[in-house]
Amino acid sequence: MAQYALVLWAAISLNFLLPHLAPGDPVDVFTGDANALNAEERARLRADYDLDGSLAEQYGRSWARLARGDLGTSVRYSRPVASVLADRLPWTLALVGLATVIAFAIGVAAGASAARRRGRRSDVVAVSGLMALDAMPGFWIGMVLLAVFAVQLGWLPSFGAVPLDAAPPSLAWLSEVGRRLVLPVATLVLATVGSTFLLARAAMVSALEAPYVGLAEAAGLSPRRIVYRHALRNALLPLFTHLTLTLGTLLSGAVVVETVFSYPGLGRVAFEAVQARDYALLQGAFLLVTVTVIAANVVADLAYPWLDPRVRRAPMVKPA
Amino acid sequence: MKAGARGAHRRLHLGRTGATGVAVLGVLAAIAAAAPVLAPFDPGARVGAPFSPPSTTHLLGTNDVGQDLLSELVFGARASLAVGLAAAAASTAIGTAIGLTAGYARGWVDTVLMRIVDVVLSLPFLPLAIVIGVVLGPGLATLVLLIAAVTWAGTARSLRSQVLAVRELDHVSAARAMGATTSHVLWRHVLVDVTPLVVPQFVLAAKVAILLEASLSFLGLGDRTTRSWGTTLSFAFERSAFLTDAWLWWVVPPGACIALAVLGFSLVGYGIEEMSRPRLRRRPAPVWQRQSVPAGSAAAGESAPVPVLEIVDLGVRYDTPSGAVLALDGVSLTVAAGEVVGLIGESGSGKSTVVTAAAGLLRAPAVVTHGGVFLDGEELGALSPDELRRRRGTRVALVPQEAMAALNPVLSVGDQVVEAIRAHQPLSRAQGRARAAQLLAMVGIDPARAGDHPHQFSGGMRQRIVIAMALANEPAVLIADEPTTGLDLVTAADVLRLLASLQARLGMAMLVVSHDLPAVLGLATRVIVLEDGRVVEEGTGERVSSLPSHPHTKALIDAIPRLRPPSPAVPERVP
Repeated sequence: MAQYALVLWAAISLNFLLPHLAPGDPVDVFTGDANALNAEERARLRADYDLDGSLAEQYGRSWARLARGDLGTSVRYSRPVASVLADRLPWTLALVGLATVIAFAIGVAAGASAARRRGRRSDVVAVSGLMALDAMPGFWIGMVLLAVFAVQLGWLPSFGAVPLDAAPPSLAWLSEVGRRLVLPVATLVLATVGSTFLLARAAMVSALEAPYVGLAEAAGLSPRRIVYRHALRNALLPLFTHLTLTLGTLLSGAVVVETVFSYPGLGRVAFEAVQARDYALLQGAFLLVTVTVIAANVVADLAYPWLDPRVRRAPMVKPA
Repeated sequence: MKAGARGAHRRLHLGRTGATGVAVLGVLAAIAAAAPVLAPFDPGARVGAPFSPPSTTHLLGTNDVGQDLLSELVFGARASLAVGLAAAAASTAIGTAIGLTAGYARGWVDTVLMRIVDVVLSLPFLPLAIVIGVVLGPGLATLVLLIAAVTWAGTARSLRSQVLAVRELDHVSAARAMGATTSHVLWRHVLVDVTPLVVPQFVLAAKVAILLEASLSFLGLGDRTTRSWGTTLSFAFERSAFLTDAWLWWVVPPGACIALAVLGFSLVGYGIEEMSRPRLRRRPAPVWQRQSVPAGSAAAGESAPVPVLEIVDLGVRYDTPSGAVLALDGVSLTVAAGEVVGLIGESGSGKSTVVTAAAGLLRAPAVVTHGGVFLDGEELGALSPDELRRRRGTRVALVPQEAMAALNPVLSVGDQVVEAIRAHQPLSRAQGRARAAQLLAMVGIDPARAGDHPHQFSGGMRQRIVIAMALANEPAVLIADEPTTGLDLVTAADVLRLLASLQARLGMAMLVVSHDLPAVLGLATRVIVLEDGRVVEEGTGERVSSLPSHPHTKALIDAIPRLRPPSPAVPERVP
């Protein structure tokens, strides 16, 4: 937990320090367009962005603002950053959550089966195919899927998250929202499933050489049972840890994928902030992504003892 | 010195995967180097009509301002590879320096550095790179810096753990003990050992860097005047190239090039990993590659009772990368119903191979060159994998070496015993649990603890649980491989007494394999001595111990430390 507090502190401090470390006036960083300002506007913005006083004073005030939940005002939307982000967060969670679950399930299942068949043709095909998939940039996969399935074939909508011609909470609205999730989720799954697969395969290769597999074989258990109940159950431990460690990567993938599909999540907002040089919005998005990663890690830490009996604290009696 | 020689030897075996990667990267590098020659046009010049489809003059068409897309693609290799490699080099250099410092200094320096590494690893790297990128402003130098800044931490962490391992190597400790200065040790010894570890890190970093370069350029943080594959895609996206057929020549080729470059590094990385873990390549399959079925005594005598286990003139060879090793050279032995046979030999004598063969678990790289194993008169080599499986646990059961470490750590011991029962008997879950409780009680484990996991038991208790699993289906013969290894003397004696009493009670045959002669003499009525894959002595326990005919057996007996003459262990009464 101390580690998470440290990460949070680092994210907040980086957010604060980076504009000051940049060459020139921090006002330029915040507004993006330095030449358009005269001295008077500069002074006003300096006050607006709370850039008066010493660095330490500013740093202290930035914490005070954060404590009030004030993330500043977005130049692009002329609204509080916190409220812009609050609208966007659920979409990213839905997108990344779905993609993570699907990619993990497919990657682990395929990896386990490939480890079992390693060296055979089907394994070689799977490894080469998924390695190639893993090498493709996520945004490019998205652009290709968009061109093929949305534009050429016209099967799925090409952008956004909600339909304009239906309102919640109708069934039509829900199905349209689902249809708009298909391509972004598929893109994220394709972009991340390769690394899960390769890792799962390696973890399974190790697990299949563990002593408990030898014991299970000597006891005459079926190969299927040995692979899926004994080896996979153990291989899941490092895979789960890897998953929690790469949540940041998954959210990073969301940035580019949301951009391609104009999906109104945190990633898209970060891109818009870059385009508009809306630094407060960008800072807020970075902070929220970090907090999301930390929250997911906390959940994963709490779930881990459920997977690994060795780290359960009290001697638990397993429900029969 | 030795490690270096082995490293050179290994490099020759990068394998097909790694070689393919090297070839792919070589071609891409050549294209980048020869770009001015290969590109038909100046990528910055307007040489055609905007948005032209592919034609003979413009093989990939033109972009929105009429620049030749093929030329852009060829020149794009330069920026993409240059940024990727420069960033990977910077990232690896920073990561290696930090990792070496932390691993070598240890103490508070290590603690502080690793805390920083953990924090950097926890921050979502792309948003972080965007935040820094916006502050620094777009440009090629910015890209290199950004990528290095968000990727060095992984290298640092893995280098540090490897340095910790290297530090403990003998020659490094020796150099330190002889008073070598820190920097001398660091550069001369640690760096030489660590260099082979840095190469895979660089390969990984290059792969990540090229992908990140593409993503950041796509998001508009690259240099908009120098075209890399990522910037080309960024422009294609902004001009909505995917809304028309233009996606085929404007979007697909640069993405494919990125994927190819990344794949090249992945393949090289995978090739390196395979060198250190050859098992990743192929799963060992069961092998019984005999030329002919031997005429064993099992098939010959019809009147004589068929032995439960008979090994006839068994020859086994291991085909290792460094050559074939003969493990068994014509070993024959029989175990009759209800008989306890001891198999003695030092490590390397072929005991384990006999055990593996008798349990029907021989796998590549083992090759059965001649002879065979008969179980109830059936030749194991002639059985299908499934027929073999159905006999394991029911006809022949194994208590493997290091049995106390053999239980599955994440399943309860009760579940593991139940599973062993239900693999062969059509019992319900509840019936299985009842039977498991009986078995656990029989080996002296409280059945109420069936729901506990292996780590909650002592080594001796885990050994007993494994014995209970082996007995689950009342096997005709039980093979106990080094049943006392790793146990303290008292626990070892307990386990031996338990095996003796269970054998007496259940009347099964038993093959006890050990390097520990007294342990075997206490149990077995007949003893077989194995040396270098051959049987050198066979006889009753008494004869072998009192009148050893082979010098090797005599040496084994003389090696027993004793206070008083050996006496057979007294079977304990079973509760």
